[in-house]
Amino acid sequence: MFGKLLKYDFRSMWKQFAFIWPAALALALVNHFTINGLDGSSGAEETAAGISMLVYVAILMAMFIVALVFAIQRFFKGLLGDEGYLMHTLPVRPWQLIGAKLVCAVVTTFLSVVVALLSILIILPWNREMVGDLFRGLGYVFTHWNIQVTHGVIGILEFCLMMMVSFATGFLQLYLSMSIGHLFSKNRVAFSVIAFIAINAVVSTLSGTLLLPLSDVLSDIINSMNGVTSFHAAMWTIIAGELVLSAIFFAGTEFILRKKLNLE
Amino acid sequence: MNETLVSCAALTKRYGSKAALQGVNLELGRGRIVGLLGPNGSGKTTLIKILCGLLQPTEGAVLVDGQPVGPYTKSAISYLPDRMYFADWMKATDLFDLFADFYGDFDRTRAMTMCASLGVTPSDRLKSMSKGTKEKVQLVLVMARKAQLYLLDEPIAGVDPAARDFILNTILTNYNEEGTVLISTHLISDIEKVLDEAVFLKEGQITLHDTVDNIREREGKSVDTLFREIFRAPNFEGGAF
Repeated sequence: MFGKLLKYDFRSMWKQFAFIWPAALALALVNHFTINGLDGSSGAEETAAGISMLVYVAILMAMFIVALVFAIQRFFKGLLGDEGYLMHTLPVRPWQLIGAKLVCAVVTTFLSVVVALLSILIILPWNREMVGDLFRGLGYVFTHWNIQVTHGVIGILEFCLMMMVSFATGFLQLYLSMSIGHLFSKNRVAFSVIAFIAINAVVSTLSGTLLLPLSDVLSDIINSMNGVTSFHAAMWTIIAGELVLSAIFFAGTEFILRKKLNLE
Repeated sequence: MNETLVSCAALTKRYGSKAALQGVNLELGRGRIVGLLGPNGSGKTTLIKILCGLLQPTEGAVLVDGQPVGPYTKSAISYLPDRMYFADWMKATDLFDLFADFYGDFDRTRAMTMCASLGVTPSDRLKSMSKGTKEKVQLVLVMARKAQLYLLDEPIAGVDPAARDFILNTILTNYNEEGTVLISTHLISDIEKVLDEAVFLKEGQITLHDTVDNIREREGKSVDTLFREIFRAPNFEGGAF
């Protein structure tokens, strides 16, 4: 059942992003030619290049704003609005509904980051020499594989994981805020915003008082390790912290949807 | 199979200090068409929402087919809410896909046949459909299932008398005859002829639950007339200032 929920969440995601992702990549390609084709001789050319760069930056920003709005809307309208009448009467459990929205939101944001990175790669002034260098470099890494390279690859994967877990924590904080706002019979949006700010305050106070002594101990431990190990340790500390927050936010949201649901 | 399909025991739902349902005890069997009758604000929608799991009762217990409300009871209930629940970007056929995925008892062929007889083009986007057409799509989704329990919340409230007959006819010709249909309404004269049982709900309490035949025999009048007598608003007499 969880897989089926995901299928429909990804379908609605694709309806949103089927245009903006290809558009960002296409604009990057345009900029690749306008920037690298410039010889600085004509003012009109420069103006055109400036405009296309502006449009490209705007669409990248729009992409992340749409990803955020999409995540909020899918939860607010999809589970707490009229669509909730359909979703909450499907033969599934509340945690599956929340989980499907979360996975979809995290994947969407992550893919937006990937599209942004790809678009930057596209803009770079590629020529035959650079491509050759790239492949020679990659070939060198693969033929001279050693422990440092392994650490590097693992480090990149850890960084990706950390990014995804942080996105998840952020989205779950939004979900919990909206669910708390939903407990009120009026001004639900306003109360959701207040709840979000309140949760922020609580988290930063708690991490200030409770976790500060702990973080001193942790950073001592991490500092005592050698460079590579301390990087891994720091990554996993952050991941663990975010996971704990995520679990708390998830449990709170699930409790409200299971016990306190009250669609208008 | 459990003979009792729905059982509510001492069911109470309070919103703050206001009680929408107070100590409701109700048992419904299988294979009936039951009218849940009461004026606006009497608790009809609250009761239906508790049965389909959209609300949690403050006190009391609900069993559907012997099970507490959860994924199993949701798979056995086909629910028509009093509003639209679609995402705009979908087509009716997308919703058929969704229902076929989640409800094993959804009959796609029947849904297409019903669309044809109701004059709905299922490949149209919901966004471009009129309100009446969307309501038909929703009715098709609900009635194309072979459910144990159909919960229909005010299915004929917002439509003209001609469309009422059309909707009732669709319900009667398509429901699973081993299942029970619970129709909430305040328009009794339109549905009285199809009801087997009537449940009167007044200010969150059940004041009468009997078969329509018994009511007619005992009271010597139609359910509609009885309803009007029980729920008549007190006449405004004027009075001294």
